[in-house]
Amino acid sequence: MITGGKSYVSSVPAFSNDGKKLLLCTGNTVSVFSTSTGMQITELEGHQAPVTSVFVVPISTSASKVLCYCWTSSLDGSICYWDFSVPELMKKVDVQLPIYSMVIPGLLHPQIHSNGKPSDLYAYVSVEDTSKQGDKSKVLRGQIRKCNLSESRLLGGVTLSETQHPEIITISASGEFFGIRNKQRLHVWKLPSKDSEHDVVRKMTLHHTKKLTILAFHPTERILAGGDVTGRILIWRGFGKRIFSANEKQINGRVVKHGEERPGVIGDDDADSCSTWHWHAAEVNALSFSSDGVYLYSGGREGVLVVWQLDTGKKRYLSRIGSPLLYFTYSPDPSLSLISCADNQIHLLEMPSMELSKSISGIKPPCSFPKIYQDSFNGIAFDHTAGLAAIRTENYRIQFYSLFDNREISQVQVCERNHQPGDDVTVFVTLLALSIDGSLMATAEVKLPEEGIGGLVCLKFWASGSQGGEFTLSTVIYEPHSDAAISAIAFHPTQRMAVSSSYGGDFKIWIRNNDQQSNQMLQKSGWRCHSVGTYKKKPITAATFSPDGSILAVAAETVVTLWDPDKNVLVAVVGETLMPIVTLSFVGRSEYLVSVSQGLKPQLSVWSMSKLSISWSYKLHAEAVACMIDASIFAVLVLSNSSEKVTCEESSVPGSNGLILLFNVEDPVPLVTWSVKKAQGGALAFLKVELSLLNEEVTDEKSSQAILAYVNSDHEYVIFDPYNRKDHKITTNHRGNLIPLEEAGRSGYTSIYGELQEFDINGDSTPQITFVPSERPWETIFSGSSHVLPPLTKLCSVFLESLLEKRSAVQD
Amino acid sequence: MADGQLRKTFPVKSRLRPTPKNSSSSPESKYWRSFKTQQISGLISAITSIDFSPEPPHDFAATYSASVTIYDSQTFEPKAKISDFTDVAYSATYRSDGKLLAAGGESGLVQVFDLKKRIPLRQLRGHSRSVRLVRYARLDKLHLFSGGDDALVKYWDVASETELINFQGHKDYVRCGFASPASSDMFATGSYDHTVRLWDARVSSLSSVLQLNHGKPVEDVIFLPSGGLIATAGGNSVKIWDAIGGGKLVYTMESHNKTVTSLCVGKVRKNGGEQSQQFRLLSVSLDGYMKVFDFSALKLVHSMRYPAPLLSMGFSPDCSARVIGTSNGALFVGKRKKDPSSGDNDISGMDKFLGFGSLEEPESRVLKPTYFRYFQRGQNEKPSEGDYLIKRPAKVKLAEHDKLLKKFRHKEALVSALNGNSPQSVVAVMEELVARKKLLQCVSNLDREELELLLRFLQRYSTMPRYSGFLLALCKKVLQLRADDIMTEDVLKGHIRNLKSSVEEEIRTQQSLQEIQGIISPLLSIAGRR
Repeated sequence: MITGGKSYVSSVPAFSNDGKKLLLCTGNTVSVFSTSTGMQITELEGHQAPVTSVFVVPISTSASKVLCYCWTSSLDGSICYWDFSVPELMKKVDVQLPIYSMVIPGLLHPQIHSNGKPSDLYAYVSVEDTSKQGDKSKVLRGQIRKCNLSESRLLGGVTLSETQHPEIITISASGEFFGIRNKQRLHVWKLPSKDSEHDVVRKMTLHHTKKLTILAFHPTERILAGGDVTGRILIWRGFGKRIFSANEKQINGRVVKHGEERPGVIGDDDADSCSTWHWHAAEVNALSFSSDGVYLYSGGREGVLVVWQLDTGKKRYLSRIGSPLLYFTYSPDPSLSLISCADNQIHLLEMPSMELSKSISGIKPPCSFPKIYQDSFNGIAFDHTAGLAAIRTENYRIQFYSLFDNREISQVQVCERNHQPGDDVTVFVTLLALSIDGSLMATAEVKLPEEGIGGLVCLKFWASGSQGGEFTLSTVIYEPHSDAAISAIAFHPTQRMAVSSSYGGDFKIWIRNNDQQSNQMLQKSGWRCHSVGTYKKKPITAATFSPDGSILAVAAETVVTLWDPDKNVLVAVVGETLMPIVTLSFVGRSEYLVSVSQGLKPQLSVWSMSKLSISWSYKLHAEAVACMIDASIFAVLVLSNSSEKVTCEESSVPGSNGLILLFNVEDPVPLVTWSVKKAQGGALAFLKVELSLLNEEVTDEKSSQAILAYVNSDHEYVIFDPYNRKDHKITTNHRGNLIPLEEAGRSGYTSIYGELQEFDINGDSTPQITFVPSERPWETIFSGSSHVLPPLTKLCSVFLESLLEKRSAVQD
Repeated sequence: MADGQLRKTFPVKSRLRPTPKNSSSSPESKYWRSFKTQQISGLISAITSIDFSPEPPHDFAATYSASVTIYDSQTFEPKAKISDFTDVAYSATYRSDGKLLAAGGESGLVQVFDLKKRIPLRQLRGHSRSVRLVRYARLDKLHLFSGGDDALVKYWDVASETELINFQGHKDYVRCGFASPASSDMFATGSYDHTVRLWDARVSSLSSVLQLNHGKPVEDVIFLPSGGLIATAGGNSVKIWDAIGGGKLVYTMESHNKTVTSLCVGKVRKNGGEQSQQFRLLSVSLDGYMKVFDFSALKLVHSMRYPAPLLSMGFSPDCSARVIGTSNGALFVGKRKKDPSSGDNDISGMDKFLGFGSLEEPESRVLKPTYFRYFQRGQNEKPSEGDYLIKRPAKVKLAEHDKLLKKFRHKEALVSALNGNSPQSVVAVMEELVARKKLLQCVSNLDREELELLLRFLQRYSTMPRYSGFLLALCKKVLQLRADDIMTEDVLKGHIRNLKSSVEEEIRTQQSLQEIQGIISPLLSIAGRR
């Protein structure tokens, strides 16, 4: 069993102390990536529920930079302590409440007791109080609690704050302050200099008129920035001077000076001034000060990273990121930072110049479309032989994602447009089909008309290039069915033939002609229409070829018809359903055909081709159907809330709303059932892969034929062998995916120009030039114009450090 | 992987157009089109004959009316004019060394001219009627043959002005002939009695060696360069015969619509191609077409139209010029730039004369930093075989409307596209605006001049089938949105009137097309039933 497709951007990522590793929360695990290669190094497994936060233990001295320890918190109510270089679980603290966020201020300024023993370590966690039941939104379920990590217990009675939902805790760089947002307020706590169990943390609140989304602390000064849903950024300067600086005895005696001028500060908030910056048009998601506090980085739904100069408010932009920004994180290495995007992609930026150096992209999340185009196609097509999933993305691309390797293979730009997050979507890719061998692809895109003008349906055929997942445009067909939308595209299993059907009432068969002209001429190949068919002018809703390609099955709304694809002759009319059919599929080499109709009376029917009649049917809301090519077995993904018959017996697993049923065509009783989560909009496919790749013992000869892949609505997927009933142990295996942590720092030439292409010159063995590995080339430190450079004091230490380390390397 | 994904802008693109499958841009027709054609007019009457000098610089003689003009083949300036004719001159032809020129005439007199002095050196009298054919034998400087409307072919010794042989056999006007490239003693003549006869001066039997029946009055006959094939032109067909194989018909080309008037052999410069494949048969006809025929592949490779009936043509032996004469006194001269790679023939010719062809260019000096060229060195370096090429990323070219669209200045972008003269880009910009849902807003914001631009565009292109689906819907919206502005301005009203009439015309066209379809479709269905 292989799982994957987790979101990389579910929570804030963290850098290791040397800036060479990146820790991402990916579902139940934490994945460690290398920042230089962008590949996954290792994985921390141990939590039973999604990991919500990672906190790398900072190291003050550069000598111990190699130490890699981190704390993680998870929804399963545990806090773990890891050595992520090995990787090894060191310690586990059980809190028993789902943790949504965690900060450990004690690590940021280590306190040493007078006797030299380190004091107890306290963590502040944002938990959900599961004891308070009820769906009412009034219930304050989110709590901020304090936790003693040294003694692994939650401190009773210390609840700092209660909110409606569990909030994300933000901590300042010095560890002195931490805060949360709560609707239109910000709560900020100041930690006592010596944190102990009984010390009171003092709290203050700042108010705003709009709902706040994010806050950020200045690393050195008492400046607090907050972003709100309207795109405004508020900067409070000198917050908490009154409340936090006053001693306990002075609090009562001190008189608030009302005459003091405090521009922008609402009411009695404790801040010197509050200024507002407004550039973002939509809500601010990412907000962060630079490590020296000179700049403020902000990003939001527009997909533009804005760099504000804190003193002047001048802006610089990194635009056309193409997806809403979620987080901005800077690393201990001053020349590296990252932005996390909502499309499950993480861009590493080279800092002073803000150039994109690497991208780590996970599986693309499902994209939202207008409802009329969403019904029939779930946006995923499978390359059965290579084990690839082709996923349409919001920026008009098709992402090819290797399900076995759990990584992106390539992206194909379908429409030459830039996606602008926040705009109304007017152009989108509606359909996507891959041929069985994965060498051909067809896409359909729709441009919505503006008040009836300029709508366009466009069918594109692509041919694969030399590498897998690389496609070049072969043919563009504008308005293939006049202006009617395309309902389905299917490829012929053996020939270069495809069928496209439309709601306008016709289907067209396309063939690819290859005229190989004289060899100096470019080989011209294009798709052209071979024939057009209609059935009683009814809208054609689904079409598919039989596995041997001799029959074309076409669903004319509710009627299943069979055609000869070469001669374009109606062979037979099989039968009729109650509701329009959305999916047709032949089951292997058998004589059966599966149809799925949705709507008020959903139906899953199996038709016998020899008797030209219905064989058996269920009243099921089937979301997806996958048929084995060689065997007479098919799998159906069913939404269980609509099927009463199954829910009563099977839905014992909480949170599951779907079932995968495995049928043999001759038998209406399912062979196996699995219950799954997030089934709405999911996809199923049988992949043809040798099972040896899965590291499982092949017990049965028969079982090596195909394995089943299930992708849920969040594009998380699981691949398993449908025959192996006992297969419940999760043996994640990333074939050759984990790059061993061997980071010979790229130096000299390679750090500037990248690796040299290896030349294979026969009989000429040039001696290899060895570079002295140096930690960090100083060329990059001073690059960039002077006003964007970090202050010289910072640079100087880095520069000298790199020199020192280089010398030691030479001595080795 | 995803590098370069950021900061990418896409220029708006019009819809792709289908490319014709057999595009005419084969290298062969590219070659024939590379002759830059210009017209020399002002010659008084039909140009009946054009002959290139076999020796460089390959001047050519054009015969028309009662004169022969010698033109420079590089500049196409007239070099000399011979007008010592009492009557209409015909068939001026060069001797093999290019020093003498012979021409016939309406009076039956054949004259030989010295090109330098332009006076008749010899006058050959013998024909009783007009002489339309005068040719020197190949490589033979002493003899020429002539054919006349008295159906006689005569073989002359030029020096003594005596007629050596009088070939009798043709029964009608002899209008054309050609000396065999294989033998100096053989030549072919074509006559209006539909036959082509091959004569041998060594055979004294006075009858032809070979007789070919073309089937139509023969207008022109030539030997193809090997000497084994003969091409004849008559009627609207060109026939190729195997002379060695006893006069067997090889091929008939019937691609002209009117009488083929002249044939000539052209050469295609090919790098590394075989010599035999370089020659093409060129034919011109009264229908105004020049056709190029590849007689080794028996394929028509190029065809070109001129706006007049064509009578004669000539092709320079060094492939640099092509001259076509018309019936209305205009010359179409085509000149080709000499490509340096294929200039080897000329250089070898120069070597013969000048004798220093092997001299190398002076060695280039070693570059020093004091030279200006030192700083430019290596810029024109070409990659060699084993080099690894690092390609610079292609720069995206943005038109002005693209730049404006990038700045979200939608109306300006639309106006800038309308000011340009490419309807594709205007429609592409409009489609992009539709995708941004800004088109109608742009239309309502246009001021008077800009609205006039838009209406003019709509009037011109909204009935074009490629754009009509989009533009007609837009027309309606524009009229709805801007009705008030249009009513107040007379200029705009005029545009609307024009638009209306063009739409009406299009409707009429469509109706008549539908009528035709109605007539044809029953016929087709009947034909399909059988």
